[in-house]
Amino acid sequence: MAEIVVGYDGSDCGKAALDEALRLGQSLGEGIVVVFGYAPPGIWGGEIAEHAEAIEELGARVLEEARARAEAAGAEVAVEMVPKKPAEALAEVAEAREARMIVVGSYGDPPLKGAILGSTPNKLLHIAGFPVLVVPALG
Amino acid sequence: MESAAVPAPSSGKAPAPPIPSSGEKGLKKNAIGFVSSVVIGVASTAPGYSLAATLGFIAAAVALQSPAILLISFVPMFLVAAGYYYMNKADPDCGTSFSWVTKAMGPQLGWITGWTIVVADVIVMANLAQIAGLYTFLLVGWDSAAASTVAVTAVGVLWIVLMTAIVLIGIELSARTQVGLLAAEIATLALFAVVALVKVYAGDAPAGSIDPSISWLNPFSLSPSEISAGMLLAVFIYWGWDTTATVNEETENPDEAPGRATVVSTLILLGIYVVVAVAAQAYAGVDRLVENQEEVLSALGTEVFGSPLDKLLIIAVLSSAAASTQTTILPTARTTLSMARSQAMPKSLGKVHPRFLTPHVSTIAMGVASIVWYVGLTLVSEDILFDSLAALGLMISLYIGLTGFACAIYYRRELFRSVKNFFFVGLGPLLGGVILFYLLIKNGIELADPANSESGNSWFGVGPPLLIAAFFLVLGVLLMLVQWRAVPAFFRRRPEAAPAGFLEGEAQLEPVPIARSGEGGG
Repeated sequence: MAEIVVGYDGSDCGKAALDEALRLGQSLGEGIVVVFGYAPPGIWGGEIAEHAEAIEELGARVLEEARARAEAAGAEVAVEMVPKKPAEALAEVAEAREARMIVVGSYGDPPLKGAILGSTPNKLLHIAGFPVLVVPALG
Repeated sequence: MESAAVPAPSSGKAPAPPIPSSGEKGLKKNAIGFVSSVVIGVASTAPGYSLAATLGFIAAAVALQSPAILLISFVPMFLVAAGYYYMNKADPDCGTSFSWVTKAMGPQLGWITGWTIVVADVIVMANLAQIAGLYTFLLVGWDSAAASTVAVTAVGVLWIVLMTAIVLIGIELSARTQVGLLAAEIATLALFAVVALVKVYAGDAPAGSIDPSISWLNPFSLSPSEISAGMLLAVFIYWGWDTTATVNEETENPDEAPGRATVVSTLILLGIYVVVAVAAQAYAGVDRLVENQEEVLSALGTEVFGSPLDKLLIIAVLSSAAASTQTTILPTARTTLSMARSQAMPKSLGKVHPRFLTPHVSTIAMGVASIVWYVGLTLVSEDILFDSLAALGLMISLYIGLTGFACAIYYRRELFRSVKNFFFVGLGPLLGGVILFYLLIKNGIELADPANSESGNSWFGVGPPLLIAAFFLVLGVLLMLVQWRAVPAFFRRRPEAAPAGFLEGEAQLEPVPIARSGEGGG
C-alpha cells in the first residue's frame, strides 16, 4: 500500500497541507507520513548542540500535534524527523517509502520574497521523484 | 570516543528508522573538509576588518614594534586554543565558553562568562557597524558623507539591521562563497603589501617612509607597559581564531588532521598580519598610521594603489566585515539560547523560530542591543565609541582567560597521566589564561588613568574604558542575582571534573543532570 508523504511545520500552510493529505488518504484508503525536516545548525561556532536540541524539541512537538490531528481524523499515521532541509527531507522520505505523492503547503510568498526566505515547494518541484501537490495556506 | 561521552539526546517520540533522527547524528553531518576548516578559522577572525580597525591604535601604543606585538599576542590565544580543543572533547559538537566554564568552575562564573561574551559582541557590533558605514561611503567615493557622523551612523545601523536579518532568516554563506570572499580579501591585502614595499624600496613612497627592519619583529625591545597596552589591542585581532579548535573536521586520519587546519589557518593569519603591518608602517611611517587610526587601510590604499584599484582594499575590508557577521551575531545568539535553555536567562531567549529554525528572539535581542549601544554612544560622544574598543580588550581577555582556566580545572585528574596531558591540557591553557589575566589587570590599572583614553575624559576620576568594563561587570552580576532569585535551578549546579582516563578512552563521563524547562521560567 502506498502512502502519502506530507510536510508539516506547525504553520497555517502546514495545517492546510496536512488536512488535504488526510482527505486524500481517506478517499484513497491510504495512510500518511508526516515529515518535519530541518537543516542541522551551521558550522559557525557557538553552542551548536543546544541549538539542535531546541529545534528537535520544536519538531517533536509539531509532529505530536500532527499525529493527534491525524488520529482524530481516523487516519493511519507515521511521523519522521529528518535532519535535512525540508525539501530534501520530503524527497528522501518519499523515495524510501515509495510514496504515492508528496503534499506540501505554500506560504504564498511572492517570488522574490520566496527566493530570499527559501521556498520549499519550489525546491521540491525540482528534486522530487514523485508527484507533488502544493496546497496554499488557509484563508 | 567523543560520541561515547554524550548522553543520548531525548529528542522525542519520532520513530528513527529508516532515517536517523537524533541530533547527534544530524550534527555529524557538520563535519567538514580541510579547506573549509581553514576558511572558518581565518574568516571568523576577519583579518581585513581587524587590521583596519586596530593597526593604527597598535602603532599609537608601541610605535615601530607593531609587528612584534602582533607576533607575541598570538601566544596566549594559541595556548588557550589547546584548552578549547580538549574541552570540545568533553562537550562535543561545539559547546563553547559558557558551557565549559559552567562545567568546570560552577554556574556563577559560567554565567559571567556568557554575559561577557554577549557584551563583547554587542560592543564589537557597534565598531563593526562604524567601519562598515564608513567604508560604504568610501567605496562610492562620497567623502562628504563619510565625514558626516549622522550619515555614517545611519548606514552603520542599516548594516546591523541587514546582518541581523541575514542571521535571523538563517542564510548561511556557503563554504564555497566564503572561500571566494576570503581569497579575494587575502589576495588584496597581499597585493597591497607587495606594492607598498616595492614603492618603499624604489623610493616612490612619500616622505616619512622607512625601510623595514628586522628589529620591528623583536619583542624584547618593548617595555612591559608597551607590551600590555599593545597586546590588549592585538588580542582582539586574533579573536575568533579560537573557534577553529572546536570545528569538527571530517577526515580519514582523525589522529593528525584536526590540528592541521588550525596550524594552517594560524600561519595564514600571522603571515597576513605581520606582512601587512610591516608594509603599511614602512610606507607611511608610524605617525600617519596613528593619524589615520580609524581608517588606516582606506587612507593608505588610495596612495599605494592609485585610482581605481584603491577600491579593492575598501571592498576587502567591507567583505571582511560582512563575512564576520555570522561569526559575531550567530554564536552570541546561540550562547544566549544555550543560557536560556539551562535556565540561566529568560526562557524566551531559548525559542527557535518555527519557520527559519534560528534562535530568533536571541538574534533580534542582539541586533537591538547593538543598535541602542551604537546610536547611544554616537550621540554621547564618538570618542567613547573608541574607548569601548579598549574596554572590549578587557572583556575578551576575561572570558578567554576563564576558558583556559576551565580546561586545566576540568581535567585536573588527567594532568599527571602523561607528559602530553600535563603540557597541552594543563600547563598550556593555564598559562594562556594567566597571561590574559595579567594583561587584564595591568591594562585595567592603566585604563584607570583618564589620560590614557581616547576621549581624555574623566568619569568619577576614572578613564571611560575601565568604567565601561566595570559598569557591564556590575550590571552582569546584578542581572545574575535577579535570575538566580527568579529561577534558582541553574545556580544549584555543581562543578564537574573529567574522570581520570577519559582522554585515553578508559573512562566515561557521567551524564550531566541539567535542569531543563518544565518548572518555572524567568
